[in-house]
Amino acid sequence: MLQEAQNVVSQISGADIANAAKYIGAGICMGIGAIGSGIGEGITAAHTVDAMARQPEMEGALLRTMVLGQAIAESTGIYSLLIAIVLLFVI
Amino acid sequence: MFGPLGHKLIAHISIGGFPISFDLMTIIMSWIVIALLVILAFILRKSLRQDIDDKPNRVQALLDALIDLIKSQLTSSFSSDQLAQDLFPFIATLFMFILLSNWISVIPLLESPTKDLNVTFSFGLLVFFMSQYFAIKRKGFGKYMKGFIEPYPLMLPLNIVGEIAKPLSHSFRLFGNMFGGAIMLSIIYSFTFLSVGFPLIVTAFYGLFEGMIQAFVFSILAVAYINVAVES
Repeated sequence: MLQEAQNVVSQISGADIANAAKYIGAGICMGIGAIGSGIGEGITAAHTVDAMARQPEMEGALLRTMVLGQAIAESTGIYSLLIAIVLLFVI
Repeated sequence: MFGPLGHKLIAHISIGGFPISFDLMTIIMSWIVIALLVILAFILRKSLRQDIDDKPNRVQALLDALIDLIKSQLTSSFSSDQLAQDLFPFIATLFMFILLSNWISVIPLLESPTKDLNVTFSFGLLVFFMSQYFAIKRKGFGKYMKGFIEPYPLMLPLNIVGEIAKPLSHSFRLFGNMFGGAIMLSIIYSFTFLSVGFPLIVTAFYGLFEGMIQAFVFSILAVAYINVAVES
């Protein structure tokens, strides 16, 4: 039994470990990066709904500003998506 | 990779020992977008030849709405009216080119040129050089250099890094959004049970809505960067 386990372990090469680490790294990178952008955009939308309830005549301007703010808050999520893609397909 | 990421039209040229590769799909699609904009301009221009007192026809009303959108949303944020007047063609062209090149991926077999980092980084560098040029022209070279050591002389590396980080984030935002949409579409096409009907919804959201928002965000950030660089 010990001999078989040692046989399996001796067949693992560095390239296999690097491949596995690539996939794990890409998953962790995108997973953690999505938290911040989701929370940030949700808080922005919540404040926009509050302001719309307070002043319904400013709906157009509030909606435009919310969309603009959310597009900018999404940037860091996009950066982690890029790193995950680079990890999966380039390296 | 399937679908929108499956092309392999890359031309490799070596100039004096340096290998350079051109992505032919990006170049061809950029020229197609430019040709579409020019043809659209010539066609729409014919309907504008009317008296100023007539009731505006539909093309006139559409163009009025477009120009009013660009003027009131984008260039109204400029700090001076003279700057808004000078830079209106630049901002309008930037907005319309990025909008059309984001939207052209909806047509099957065509891809958006902004899916390539080369295109978006060129736009980021263009806005960067425009902002530095207008800052030097408005403030003079001495005052422009003094602006880098503005609160304390120790802030010089931070100010330089801040200036360089602006075109990077500017271009990566547009590239990441468009490339992410293309990847999502290619993943959906690789599932056979999702290939019918579902890509239409995803294309309508990622292609049209997200494309318009990203073009708007790019233009309004370009206006904001030029504004920040010009005012002292």
